Amino acid sequence: MTDYDVLVLGSGIGGMESALKLGDMGYRVLVVESEPSIGGKMILLSKVFPTLDCASCISTPKMAATAHHPNVSVLTDARLERVVRMTDGGFSATIHQTPRYVDVAACTACRQCELACTVAVPDQYNGELVSRRAAYLPFPQALPQKALIERAGTSPCTFACPAGIKAHGYVSLVRSGEYDKAFALVSETTPLVGSLGRACYAPCEAACTRGALEGPLAIRRLKRFVADVHYGSDGNHEAPARPEPSGKRVAIVGSGPAGVTAAWQLARAGHAVRIFEAAPVAGGAMRLSIPSYRLPVATVERDLANLAELGVEIETGHLVRDLAELRAGGFDAVLVATGTPLAARLGVAGEDLDGVRSALGLLRDLKLGAPVDLTDRTVAVIGGGNVAIDAARSAARLGARSVHLVCLEQREHMPAHAFEVEEALAEGIELHDGWGIADLSGSDAVASVGLKACTAVFDADGRFAPTYDDRRRAELGADVVLVAIGMEVDTAAFPSLAPAGSRRLRADPATFRTAEEGVFAAGDAVSGPSTIAQAVGAGRDAAHMIDRYLSGKDLAGLEVPLPVVSHDAVLARQRAYTRREAFVHRPVLSPAPRGFAELEGPLSEDEALAAAGRCLDCGVCSECHECVAACPADAIHLEMRPEDHTVRAGAVIVSTGYRLFDADLKPQYGYGRFKNVVTGTQMERLLAPTRPYHGVLRPGDGKVPEKIAYVMCTGSRDETVNNPMCSKFCCMYSLKQNQLILGALPLADVTVHYIDIRAAGKGYDEFFEQAKAMGTTFIKGRVAEINELENGDLMLSYEDIAHGGVRVAEYDLVVLAVGVQPSPGIARLFEDGLELDPQGFVLEVSEDDHPAATSIPGVFAAGAVTGPRDIPESILHAGAAAVQAAAYLQSTRVPA
Amino acid sequence: MTREVREVVRDEPLVRRRLLQLLEAGPLTVPELAAASGHPADEVVIWVMGMRKYGDVTVGEPTPEGYFSYAVAKR
Repeated sequence: MTDYDVLVLGSGIGGMESALKLGDMGYRVLVVESEPSIGGKMILLSKVFPTLDCASCISTPKMAATAHHPNVSVLTDARLERVVRMTDGGFSATIHQTPRYVDVAACTACRQCELACTVAVPDQYNGELVSRRAAYLPFPQALPQKALIERAGTSPCTFACPAGIKAHGYVSLVRSGEYDKAFALVSETTPLVGSLGRACYAPCEAACTRGALEGPLAIRRLKRFVADVHYGSDGNHEAPARPEPSGKRVAIVGSGPAGVTAAWQLARAGHAVRIFEAAPVAGGAMRLSIPSYRLPVATVERDLANLAELGVEIETGHLVRDLAELRAGGFDAVLVATGTPLAARLGVAGEDLDGVRSALGLLRDLKLGAPVDLTDRTVAVIGGGNVAIDAARSAARLGARSVHLVCLEQREHMPAHAFEVEEALAEGIELHDGWGIADLSGSDAVASVGLKACTAVFDADGRFAPTYDDRRRAELGADVVLVAIGMEVDTAAFPSLAPAGSRRLRADPATFRTAEEGVFAAGDAVSGPSTIAQAVGAGRDAAHMIDRYLSGKDLAGLEVPLPVVSHDAVLARQRAYTRREAFVHRPVLSPAPRGFAELEGPLSEDEALAAAGRCLDCGVCSECHECVAACPADAIHLEMRPEDHTVRAGAVIVSTGYRLFDADLKPQYGYGRFKNVVTGTQMERLLAPTRPYHGVLRPGDGKVPEKIAYVMCTGSRDETVNNPMCSKFCCMYSLKQNQLILGALPLADVTVHYIDIRAAGKGYDEFFEQAKAMGTTFIKGRVAEINELENGDLMLSYEDIAHGGVRVAEYDLVVLAVGVQPSPGIARLFEDGLELDPQGFVLEVSEDDHPAATSIPGVFAAGAVTGPRDIPESILHAGAAAVQAAAYLQSTRVPA
Repeated sequence: MTREVREVVRDEPLVRRRLLQLLEAGPLTVPELAAASGHPADEVVIWVMGMRKYGDVTVGEPTPEGYFSYAVAKR
């Protein structure tokens, strides 16, 4: 049993004709179209020759009939992947369905999504003479008349963000000057916009495709920019609307990035949230351990103030030890996000001497405003991670005579980010890499650090297992030692959540549930030390699960991004890229830094726009969510995903048409370099009622052209481009355009440079005569080359056969009548192999007595997929293909 | 150097505000906008036509030199 009698590939005039004829005969037909609209190339034409009837007026009824025929089903945005011929003579076809990301039943084609979209791309339905948006309706007569969103995948920056922030989205909003909307987009994930804008290690930038050109975008600093702008206008924007209360209460233990983000998300879902923080201030590591020269206290506090706007309460100085008590106190759910507040110990002799302390403790004292004075002290910081770097640079700012950083790893393998190591060295920190600690010594207080050479940090399995060469020893004098060799979870605080011997709290990695009912755990307390962005991501996801738990839903449904777009795929969209320098604005560093003022300055608006303007729109859609907000029908669904499905059909008709010759393969004509050289297809659009401009204008400067030349046989009848074939209908469409131009621009001069005018068809020669009578000049002879003048005019060097010699003429605008070429990739779709003719068109194996029959029984070809055919010919041929398919179906039917 | 269309189009959201600011002072032709903004005329054509398509600008009468002027659309 088949799903359909006939599968028709392509919905141009040929495909539609075959489908309609078969549908009228009572056959069930499926039309598969890769474009978002049916109609093919004809619907984009201005008029048809030789009648000069409106192309749309002929095409749109066919399109409507195809879309609404009771026996014809249509799949747009669908790509045929494979066709296999079955033993019963039928076919199995695999179809890849690309989502529109729009609910077509709900979409009213109001274009609000398109008007709101922040990404501009060339409009392929207007010859790339104008822009469209990533969210768009293809063209005014498109069918279905529904919006779609072009998505190539997830942009690398967004894909790389562990917090799940739509990095591409806020970059595109900044580029559009929508700074508050950019702030709001980041706020969809977390309230920590300013903090992340300063202290995130920006994996987005490491993933940025532009990094393969001149360097990545300053994505993190753009986030800081939007936070600066938003907070700079405090008092001018309204507090966010509070959602409808859910009646549920959630307690969050810990106010670091995971806890705060979870609180934010849960409050946005309408839950009443209270955060319990053991420290005297909220903010976790952001507030207590990242030095103010990297992350000012005021920034963290302003970010945290966002929570209050949603009604989140924060109770500081409240140490939670009994989760059951919290639950009994009326909280419907609890999230434990206590991070890694404890410092790991060295485990060497002398660790308890005076002068030895944890780096975290020093940083915490500093951020809490406790007096810390290292004036003229010699400080040794033990560790190679970011906390060690923070402690060392803080020690330098506190007046230390010298600061030594001792770590097991060689410099290139230090866990700290390379730029932070560089900055530390620039601030006078002395690095002792490749050394372990043998002991600490001193009489009353530490005076010396015993070092032993580290030969390896990890074992063969990659586990941390340092080995040493005890023969290589050294002593480092130091009267202050700051230990920064790791941060640990306070598992003792919640024994019910941490199995014996575990160094972390245990929670289901997918649902964040712990062993206690209604208690969830997330962030560094579960994962171990991570980054702020990773903790934000964990908090966001945990909140999603808690919200579902409170709503009685299954714990699932986290966003799964589209696959990431590869750098190669993005860069292949253009042949060349104009150099746009990366914004590099490193802080000015002093070898003897003093004070904790923020090092990195803000971006100016011009700098931010220049930075955002470098974005390559890798995913095309930026996920800025402006379309979602603008759609009055709630029809945008970015969570839609591609699907593959298989259908069975009794016969197949291939009607995928042709492709046009790539005009820049004739470089002597300057297409792509000279802006006033266009193709016949582009002129077709300039003449169409739904045109990209408001008339026939030069693309180079918008001038109304007065002298227009046509160069016939561009890329056809031309051995130099390996296309000796005549494209058959270029002469006629050019003659049609000549007449339309002379109608639109009565004072224009139109000249056609031709080899032969081939006007063999009913009324075609009369049409040629009509063009001459209207004033078109015809010059027989090839055009050798085109050169551009400073004002954009074009000098044509051409052969004049009638009068002899090579001549030169000046024009405002040149139209290249490009030829046609085979549609690529058809043959490989068929497992049995579809034979092609020498030019690459589908071979009709017996054209004279079985037109449309191909080399595969049951597969037929309709229209220009078999070679150049104009519209009337294509329709005739499509009818033949339909009849052939019907006959084949009858021949393969098993008698009842 | 001529930039590829995709690159020029991508800049449309970036330059739109600037071009509209220039048009606030009065209608301008493409060559006038190009001179005022410092961008090549062919790029200005793409941007202005995009702005016309999306309702940001309106089209005035042609000049004797054959150029149309463009003005900020009143919404």
